[in-house]
Amino acid sequence: MSKKQSKNKYLIRLAVQIFFLALIILVSLNQWRSEQGLLPLLIGRPSLHAVCPFGGVVTIYTYFTEGAFIQKIHQSSFTLMWLIFSLTLLFGPVFCGWVCPFGTVEEFIGKIGRKIFKKRYNNFIPLKLDRLLRYLRYIILILVVVNTAISGKLLFANFDPYFALFNIWSSEVTRLSLLVLGLVLVGSLFVERPWCKYLCPLGALLGIFNLFRIVKLKRNEKTCINCKACDRVCPMNINVSTSKVVSDHQCISCFLCTDEITCPVNNTLNFTVLEKKNSRENSEKDSKGKNKESISGGKK
Amino acid sequence: MKIKSIHILLAIIIIIGGGILLASELDLYNTTRVKSPRKTAEGICDVIDMRGSHTLDEIEKHCQLPASSVIEAFGLRPDTIPEFFQLKDMKEIFKPVELEGEEYIVETDTVKVFTSLYMKIPYVSDETFYLPEKTVNYLVENDKLTGEEKEYWQGHTFKLEYLDTKYLTASEFTKIVAEEAEGLAVTGSTTIQELLDNGITEEKFEEVTGFKIPDKKSVSVRDFVIEKGIEFGEIKDKFIE
Repeated sequence: MSKKQSKNKYLIRLAVQIFFLALIILVSLNQWRSEQGLLPLLIGRPSLHAVCPFGGVVTIYTYFTEGAFIQKIHQSSFTLMWLIFSLTLLFGPVFCGWVCPFGTVEEFIGKIGRKIFKKRYNNFIPLKLDRLLRYLRYIILILVVVNTAISGKLLFANFDPYFALFNIWSSEVTRLSLLVLGLVLVGSLFVERPWCKYLCPLGALLGIFNLFRIVKLKRNEKTCINCKACDRVCPMNINVSTSKVVSDHQCISCFLCTDEITCPVNNTLNFTVLEKKNSRENSEKDSKGKNKESISGGKK
Repeated sequence: MKIKSIHILLAIIIIIGGGILLASELDLYNTTRVKSPRKTAEGICDVIDMRGSHTLDEIEKHCQLPASSVIEAFGLRPDTIPEFFQLKDMKEIFKPVELEGEEYIVETDTVKVFTSLYMKIPYVSDETFYLPEKTVNYLVENDKLTGEEKEYWQGHTFKLEYLDTKYLTASEFTKIVAEEAEGLAVTGSTTIQELLDNGITEEKFEEVTGFKIPDKKSVSVRDFVIEKGIEFGEIKDKFIE
């Protein structure tokens, strides 16, 4: 696959990311306009809480025990949560890699960091510490869900950088959340998606789906040339090149590592479903043929 | 089968986009607040579901708790407008107090406990263990407490203090008390029925909006004018001119 074709494929995800980022900015703008007594533009005036699926997660206990949503959470959050769960069960945490506007902002800032620090970017944190920190988001998930169940209040909003960023004009934003936002945005210059990797409770929950998702990221060991391009491009620092089936809890299904975008050998690294045993051999034969073509066609 | 970026794009459109459309059709995608607390299995107002965004008027309609009782029990201004005063507005009026080493703010949960005691609806709060002295006295005077409740609450009171000492006399609390001359403030949640209830005539409505009053009067003025392509901010004050 030529570089031009790879870039076109990359643009699909970029377009989706920009669409959802623009949508959330519009929601935020309409909230502000609404408070000023102005006409909302295009989509009415839902609150940021109403369009965040994590609202559904934190209210799940209250919903099933008391039949009600916690303060500030609307039914739309609950519905969105189930839709996102369905999408994640099929394709993994596509929400994190394609939809979440906060992840997109981190990623865009990360592009600046990558230009500044080159190869050092996303490699500042020692491996052992990095691996340990990645479980922090599960602790946060448990703390948030349990404390919300006990208090019946949306406590997470007090330190949620997503809410702070897209509601920055509002008096509802706490100093703590602004501090967290500042740290995450600055941190994004050094580490790719620091909030997603270490702190995001929704990312933690969706990450669990990687263990049993239907569409899996598979690497063909026989055709892999061990160039490690997949490892280098992975925003979540997953060792893709050593796995046969990537089921790392941090995968965000961004498709960057796949042979559609980065992997230079066709049919070597991609998301697949319902693979038949017989077709494997055929694909191996095919890939051997295309291997030379791909490698000579242009290495990344 | 190999899954490509285009498949993910389609999945997002179908699952998220289609899911939202379907949920909207099934009335499962509500992005705005619910105007009434839900009912319990016994058909009474569920205190747990009372929210800061509920107005005194909505609480009166759906929980049968007279707005006047809340106004009196908490020492709110007598000219407080029940249609506009939201439970969360309490925290804009009263000073936080320190109780057993922790800061306590008079807000929605305080009203929930008051409602529970006044209406005899079971509710166990995990944050309100004290009530304003004025509120407890009101409950006692109106014979709303059992002997045990009376004993507990009379021993767990604090003195209410206004954040702004001019609260009872100044005319600047326009959102929550009567506007001096006009007597009506039209906000985003004001319904057409509320306009009529506040003395706005059908002619006046037509003069301001350019449209006749619709049959469905429960719709908010804001939503109505937006649908007609009119800027809400431009007309909302014209009803009281």
